[in-house]
Amino acid sequence: MEFEEIYKTYWDRIFRLCMGFVNDYDAAQDLAQETFIIVWQKLETFRNESAIGTWIFRIASNTCLRQIEKEKRFPKSDLPVHLSEEKQASIEPQIQYLYKCIAELPETERIIISLELEDVKQAEIAKIVGLSEANVRVKIHRIKEKLTQKFKENGQQ
Amino acid sequence: MDNNNIDFKDLWKKQTVNQPNKEDLMARLKQFKKAGLRSLWKTNILLFATSAFIVFIWYYYQPQFISTKIGIVLAIVAMIMYVGVYNGLLRIYKDIDTNQTNQEFLQKLILIKRKQQFMQSTILSWYFVLLLAGICLYMYEYASRMTVFYALITYGITLLWIGFNWFYMRPKQIKKQQAKINELIVKFEDINKQLD
Repeated sequence: MEFEEIYKTYWDRIFRLCMGFVNDYDAAQDLAQETFIIVWQKLETFRNESAIGTWIFRIASNTCLRQIEKEKRFPKSDLPVHLSEEKQASIEPQIQYLYKCIAELPETERIIISLELEDVKQAEIAKIVGLSEANVRVKIHRIKEKLTQKFKENGQQ
Repeated sequence: MDNNNIDFKDLWKKQTVNQPNKEDLMARLKQFKKAGLRSLWKTNILLFATSAFIVFIWYYYQPQFISTKIGIVLAIVAMIMYVGVYNGLLRIYKDIDTNQTNQEFLQKLILIKRKQQFMQSTILSWYFVLLLAGICLYMYEYASRMTVFYALITYGITLLWIGFNWFYMRPKQIKKQQAKINELIVKFEDINKQLD
């Protein structure tokens, strides 16, 4: 698969995954770019042992996990105020609320639910995260319950 | 209302997305590479300049004693070791394979952080020991030409300075580095536990 094709196919999906992780438009954009830089550099080493989607999602989720270190180095409050609020203002509050709720989950749950919402198969999610399929299924079920609960409490239906 | 009434998938996909064109991405890639190269240059130029300065002293003043020469070599070795290890650590960290499961990746991160923690304190101590030995040896030739009184004062001040660095600056530096790394290790371990 050519890089350009991958880029076009996966950018949106990777961006949403990152957005679910950080719930910050600019930071998500950065993380998605970082992911594609790695994809671009490593594309030659990709062997068709796994599906390309699994490969890309692994890189993306690991990139999200790794940025935790940067987060610690530059606390958010120290950064200049971004214009991200403005960009998001047009989005329905329900969508904003969903991303906010997801970004508040424990880190690995953010990744799991994001992949599920991206229609990644549970067997693939298991391969990306490193859990058994059964475990993934249980986790997805619980996370969805948690989200539904939050939506109900907030009256967002 | 039951669960099924909220279509999370539908909401999820409605998030506005702005796909930058490929040229933007490539520009970013170049920037990335440049930044990496720049930091490499910065540390290495500093190292090179200091070493050149020391070699210049060697050449210009023509030290007679072997102790002076050993001192110079020790000081250079100390600096090369420090920069070398530091560069190496950074490289390991940057080169972690991102095509692993999240669980494996987290374990790798923890492992690397532990290694980093150990290396930093050990290497920092070695750096100080080598530098101390180097400076003391280096000074001997010049001190031997002074009167005993001035030689004592010279060594006294130098040792005081080194003592301050060893007993105050070094532990402080190590503590600062360790606190940062420990915090990260705890965080990564917490995340890894989520997968148990």
